[in-house]
Amino acid sequence: MRTALDLYRRLIGVQIRSQLQYRVSFLVDLIGQAMATGVWFLSLALILQRFESIGGWTLGEVAFLYGTVETAFGVMDLLFSGFDPSFFGQQVRRGSFDQLLLRPVNITLQVLGGEFVLRRIGRIVQGAAILAVALALTDVRWTAIKALYLPVVLGSLVCFFGGLFIIGATITFWTVESIEAVNIFTYGGSEMISYPMHIYQNWMRRFFTYIVPAIFLNYYPALFFLDKPDPFGLPPFAPFLSPVAGVGVLAVGLAFWRFGIRHYQSTGT
Amino acid sequence: MRLFWELCKLSFQRQLTYRAATLAGLATNFFFGMLRAALMAALYGARQEVAGISLAAAITFTGLTQATIGYLSLFHWYEVMNSVYTGDISSDLLKPMGYFSFWLAQDLGRAAVALLMRGLTIMLAYALVFDITLPRSRAQWLALAVTLALSWLVSFSWRFLVNLAAFWTPNARGVGRFVFGLSWFTSGFLMPLRFFPEWFQRLCNLTPFPSTINTAVEVYLGLLTDLELFRALLGQVLWAVALIGIGQLVLRAGVRRLVIQGG
Repeated sequence: MRTALDLYRRLIGVQIRSQLQYRVSFLVDLIGQAMATGVWFLSLALILQRFESIGGWTLGEVAFLYGTVETAFGVMDLLFSGFDPSFFGQQVRRGSFDQLLLRPVNITLQVLGGEFVLRRIGRIVQGAAILAVALALTDVRWTAIKALYLPVVLGSLVCFFGGLFIIGATITFWTVESIEAVNIFTYGGSEMISYPMHIYQNWMRRFFTYIVPAIFLNYYPALFFLDKPDPFGLPPFAPFLSPVAGVGVLAVGLAFWRFGIRHYQSTGT
Repeated sequence: MRLFWELCKLSFQRQLTYRAATLAGLATNFFFGMLRAALMAALYGARQEVAGISLAAAITFTGLTQATIGYLSLFHWYEVMNSVYTGDISSDLLKPMGYFSFWLAQDLGRAAVALLMRGLTIMLAYALVFDITLPRSRAQWLALAVTLALSWLVSFSWRFLVNLAAFWTPNARGVGRFVFGLSWFTSGFLMPLRFFPEWFQRLCNLTPFPSTINTAVEVYLGLLTDLELFRALLGQVLWAVALIGIGQLVLRAGVRRLVIQGG
């Protein structure tokens, strides 16, 4: 375990140093990344001057959903860059994944440490800023439980998105190319839970409740933090299922990953 | 000119062979369209009309913008920078046609496939699921065809220009990401520009981006009077001319400092 952590630290350290070599380039990357994701929220904030609310939720309340998703997705995208389906699919196609398999080190650790895209920090900062706006605009009645639960919710979201990335990466064992449809779950899922779930049609919401348990990750916690009533009448412990859903999806992803590696046949390149 | 059409045809045929990618792209674009339509409905709530746009028109807007993602390469297009970085540009510059036209022809072929296979299909799917609006007269259809063609020309011209950053910096992608992000915001892709505060609309109109999407959307939805329509189309033409002109100047400056590593 010690050696594993040490190895991970080294793998990441090399990448951080190399990406910081070109300072200006890195700065441009950071700004570009924050821009690309920040404009969505900015445009929402601007048009809400005219519309006032989204399905009864104010800008600050939606910002809570949006900020938690953006922050967590940014952290996940940083930690799990190696499993990014489009990046990982390339490795499978080129056969560089086969090289990793030959090394006497845990394969998951190697993939995890194989890529670390530092510019994602731009997205994390942007997400944290939106979350700060949310907390400033809504007056959350803070209790000890709420203060302790917020980091748990963020951690659960990271696990959830990480699990989706791992599932998407594993699928490329069979498809070789990264399939764009996987984006529906990763980017589509994150986009969807950035807004209150009651604005969607029933079939969509049910899919993201019972098949992909996305609704528990930040919508139900948001109801708890903002003291809002539950429009769907789930049991009162529903807001606290966030870690169950997050860790659960990550566990399913890892199980699928191990299954994929056992059946991996390589492309022969 | 024959060379131009041959290149365009080749690119068209090549694009047609990416069937799986087209299908996956369609599914993704449509799914996001559904999300955006739901968001629009939630914003409207009980309102019938906002800034002259009915709810049906606003939902149609989400379909229209999703339908042009492929056609206008809204999310990324880094082909010219890649050819600068790989050195392919050296052989492309030797071809008996201008470097701008060389890419223009290929992008035309690509865009045509995207419009037919992805754009039309998304609008058809939208027509099945939602109550969408259509242009009401033959003149409006004609104006739509003209504005869509101009949208592509303006879009290609700025994409080409941004790609030229590769002559000066090793990280033109970062520059590209920034400008693409800016374009979603100011082109009227995320939301119709009419929804934004006046000062922001004025700011957007200082950039070429509204000429790529917002104009086409307003023509489709029939929001413009004859005079406004004329001015909008003229604006597109002027932006295209200006961007192509600047592109040529920048290209010339870039090629002058280009050093190809022999290999």
